Amino acid sequence: MTKRLLIYVALGIAAVLVQKFLDDFASINSVSPQLVIIFVVYLALREGQLFGMSGGFLIGLLNDLLVTHFIGYTSFVGVVAGFAAGFFFKESDIELAARTLNFAWICAITLAISELAALPIIASGELDYLYVFMKFTVGTTIYTSVFAMVIVFVNGRKSHYV
Amino acid sequence: MFKWLSEFFRLAKNYIVFALLISLSFFLISTNNNVHTRGLQVLGLFTTSYLEAGVRDVIGYFTLASKNKELREENARLIDLTARIRGAMEENEQLRQMLKFREQTRSQLIPADVIGRSSEGGRYFLTLDAGSNSGVHAGDPVVTGTGLVGTVFAVNDDFSLVRTLLDGDSRIAAKLLNASADGLIVAGDYGQLAMKNVSRRYVVSPGDLVETSSLSSLVPPGIAIGMVTKSTDEPGNIFKKIDVQPAVDFTAISAAFVMEYVHPAGAANLKNERLKKRK
Repeated sequence: MTKRLLIYVALGIAAVLVQKFLDDFASINSVSPQLVIIFVVYLALREGQLFGMSGGFLIGLLNDLLVTHFIGYTSFVGVVAGFAAGFFFKESDIELAARTLNFAWICAITLAISELAALPIIASGELDYLYVFMKFTVGTTIYTSVFAMVIVFVNGRKSHYV
Repeated sequence: MFKWLSEFFRLAKNYIVFALLISLSFFLISTNNNVHTRGLQVLGLFTTSYLEAGVRDVIGYFTLASKNKELREENARLIDLTARIRGAMEENEQLRQMLKFREQTRSQLIPADVIGRSSEGGRYFLTLDAGSNSGVHAGDPVVTGTGLVGTVFAVNDDFSLVRTLLDGDSRIAAKLLNASADGLIVAGDYGQLAMKNVSRRYVVSPGDLVETSSLSSLVPPGIAIGMVTKSTDEPGNIFKKIDVQPAVDFTAISAAFVMEYVHPAGAANLKNERLKKRK
């Protein structure tokens, strides 16, 4: 478990660093794929809801410290994502959930929930709520879900629909 | 209890951790100072104050009984205080008017406190704490700053009994100021006075003032008695029926003056002498 934990820590740090790279070079009109959240979904599907939430909080906090500089925001999204993704956790079917195209769908649903939850924070102080919703909530969800699909395909794993 | 708690925590631990982490995230967000957090800070403030109010209400519910008792006691104390203040104000007003009356009158005035009041069976008396030792005599008029109270009915060394205008046997000669008509003031109904023996040919209106007449052998003229409230002409009666509101509030009177008044004896003597000569 300790070894696995260390791997997760390393992967988490790597995800944050790649996130920084994606924010700088892969963003479209300030919308970038949330690799950190994809990693949180992965954690929740592999280890369960409690682990997903805790991991989401810590990785989100790291991301806030190094990338967004909006302390607490990604932590919040990470906790919600871990919580939502945790409902898809099945101990008997870990590989199925985490390594198939289902993963992309779960990422999409989880992202939609977490970005919706974060909408009041992002929209606070903005005049055009609809614009913010379309851009950050819908845009981020779609872009990240596509990114998750790409990851699944790049991994070369077999698609599997439940 | 412990078992129940551990079972509850086992089932709800994910939700508890979720709530804790979300709260921690919000706390971290609130430490930022940017446009996104200001709205949240306001929202947090409202939520906190709302929850605090709810908690205060719950706590307040348990202290409601004692608080209620405290408020009842406070209420009773305030009612008592208000009554005292109102009484003091009325007494103050009476004393002011009496002081003014004392400055205006040339008669000798003996101040006295009202220490007793009796009203039953059509009799209405007041007891004053001044008697013959203070110079009070039977028949002396008793006044306040607002008008005539009555006359001294009986007196001993230290106290005197006053027959008020409301007493059934009281008869005082009075005068209507506007109509220049004389009549007799007697007790009326429901704490009112009535003026008798005023001819129907006089025009009397509500609001006309009534004062003691110079025809009276009991009281000096010019002391206020009251104000006309109603004047009617009854069929078959040559006199008007006049209701008079007393100038003195007999229910609240607390102090009065006894006037040393002696009717000029010569007038009565002249009348008696003339009648004797005729006989």
